[in-house]
Amino acid sequence: MPTKHEARLPLAFITPGKTVRLASLGDEIDPLQREQLIAYGLAENRPIKVLQQRPMTVILAEEVELALEHAVARHIWVEKLAADN
Amino acid sequence: MTATSSAANAILLVGHPNVGKSVLFHRLTGAYVNVSNYPGTTVEVTRASARFDQQAMLLDTPGVLSLPSRSDDERATMRALLNENIRCLVQVGDAKNLRRTLTLTALLAELGVPLVLALNMHDEAAARGVIVDIPALAEELGTPVLATVATGGEGISELTNSLSQAQPPQVLLRYDATIEKEISATSTAITRLAAHPQLAARGLAILFLGGDSEVATWLAEQAGEQFAELAALRQQADLANQGKLPALLARERTEAADALATSALRRAARSSPLLAQRIGQYVVDPLWGIPILLGMLFVVYEFVGVFGATVLVGLLEKGLFEGILNPAFSDFVNSVIKLPWLAELLVGQYGLWTMGMTYALALILPIVSTFFFAFGVLEDSGYLPRLTVIANRLFALIGLNGRAVLPMVLGLGCVTMATLTTRILHSPRERMITIFLLALAIPCSAQLGVVLGMLGGISFSAVLIWVVAMLIVLMLAGYLAAKLIPGRRIPLVTELPPMRLPILGNVLKKTGGRLKWYLIEVIPLFLLGTFIMYALDKTGALPLIIRAGEPLVSGWLGLPKEASAAFVMGFLRRDFGATGLFAMAHSLSPIQAVVGMITITLFIPCFASLMMMIKEQGAKVALAMVAVIVPLAFLIGGLFNIVLRALWI
Repeated sequence: MPTKHEARLPLAFITPGKTVRLASLGDEIDPLQREQLIAYGLAENRPIKVLQQRPMTVILAEEVELALEHAVARHIWVEKLAADN
Repeated sequence: MTATSSAANAILLVGHPNVGKSVLFHRLTGAYVNVSNYPGTTVEVTRASARFDQQAMLLDTPGVLSLPSRSDDERATMRALLNENIRCLVQVGDAKNLRRTLTLTALLAELGVPLVLALNMHDEAAARGVIVDIPALAEELGTPVLATVATGGEGISELTNSLSQAQPPQVLLRYDATIEKEISATSTAITRLAAHPQLAARGLAILFLGGDSEVATWLAEQAGEQFAELAALRQQADLANQGKLPALLARERTEAADALATSALRRAARSSPLLAQRIGQYVVDPLWGIPILLGMLFVVYEFVGVFGATVLVGLLEKGLFEGILNPAFSDFVNSVIKLPWLAELLVGQYGLWTMGMTYALALILPIVSTFFFAFGVLEDSGYLPRLTVIANRLFALIGLNGRAVLPMVLGLGCVTMATLTTRILHSPRERMITIFLLALAIPCSAQLGVVLGMLGGISFSAVLIWVVAMLIVLMLAGYLAAKLIPGRRIPLVTELPPMRLPILGNVLKKTGGRLKWYLIEVIPLFLLGTFIMYALDKTGALPLIIRAGEPLVSGWLGLPKEASAAFVMGFLRRDFGATGLFAMAHSLSPIQAVVGMITITLFIPCFASLMMMIKEQGAKVALAMVAVIVPLAFLIGGLFNIVLRALWI
């Protein structure tokens, strides 16, 4: 079954346990922090697994576990993977 | 050592934060740097001779998240790359995060120096079903690639053997055609104007165009006035790419690393998350996180506050020192030394042995030993970065983010050391606020032990009042500092390293290393402090100071006038002062004990940490902090005196 792309959503809205695909990093994110995120492995099209949303967004990107404040996670745009949902 | 000297002898360990560079450094040199399971522990380049080749100098560099350099750590590493006489680089990578590792390799490869890639923490990768085709990767890179487990010593001899075969790696990508033209123009200009004896001009051009400030400084120094030409090339390239050149370069490297990683990675199926991952998630869970934190604090309290500060101190101070050593030493000194002033200097009330060494070894040593051991266990377990997640919301109130919890918790061990580790914070503003709060309201382990010992002996509510007072001051001062110091708060983004079972040997080594550091610092200062007290006493200045301090100490704080002596001692070390109060505990009422401890905790930490504050923030800022802290300590102490006297039944 081909992967069906849906609307882009902020990472902060994704239910824990779901895997999504990174679409883009919003311009609202501070340029230095943006480079930091890319360096952590948050590159476009990479899969991200959401582990939890409270008290912070915690994700698994490759084998890197990252904790992000909602102030950042709400500007990270992701697409749901049809196969996973 | 500069890049121009004859024999290239420097072997640089470079890599991402928290991939095990410092452990590997220890394996290769026998020298020990403080190693922790959280990023940013190595704040400066450390060097030592290699075990396998006495001619070679091994350098442990601070972790880089990415290059071109942006943070202090990255700049320190970049400076090492530019200024050392490099024989080869050992890139230490995390085997389970191959993509990220290769993104850095893609940049290092452009520098044209021999490189060996050590894929460390191979065991953790295997446990997660990540299998790297190492021979294939070595072939693609054209240089040795090895699997290592630095903590267990696996792959270390293979690594040292492979160093002689190190080659400059194959370049991993060609950038977009337009960008390539800009790189090529810049690198030609660098070759002409500021050629580096070892690093390839192309690599320097990529770093320079990517906005690396260290490379820019180095090029400016070499090229002199002609640097303008290089600056113009960069400006031109940046304009042509709408100011996004650094991001485009980084993106293309990431893509190249992705492609290579995909070809070298195989993934075994894995049925369920590892136990370590599940524990790691419970620890930051909104429901379980707080009870786990409280449980952890209770265990640490039992170990440090009860076992260390009560049981061990009792055995050492009462049993060994007061019971056996001090009487024996006093008898010996009094029988041998006939000069009364000299005997008194050694074994009198302010004697170097009876006060200085007894305080340092019998009271402080057991407390800091137990604290450093407990802290080492927490560090190596991976709990501390998770603590930043739990603490983030609280720290947001004082204009910081959860990352500041790490220096604060380390400050409970030693404020001087913690002041240095504020470098892990990203902005100068965060560093300034954290250093101020550390100096004001974070008691170090020695002092904490004294406080718990003294107030715990009165009642639990006395301890509670002290804890609440410290929290109120911390939050209020932090809130005000955040309002007054310009700049904005940076939201927290942090890596959570895997939870690991700490290895006893590593924790003990680390505890030993920290204790050595602490004792070297503490014993001379305790002896100097004791000597000053002795001199003040002998010259008759101490009674004068006590009388002069009386209105403040007795009138405002409500303490006996002798307590002035403790504050004089507190100028040298806060715990020395607290110990002075502890020594007169029997003559203090509960309110006096609480007020005394609140005031001395808020007082400036110690001479060593003042020096560290000056080093990190400059003399002006550090002295301004002291000018705020000292009156504030007395003001708050006095307020508590008034409030407690009104309320305490």
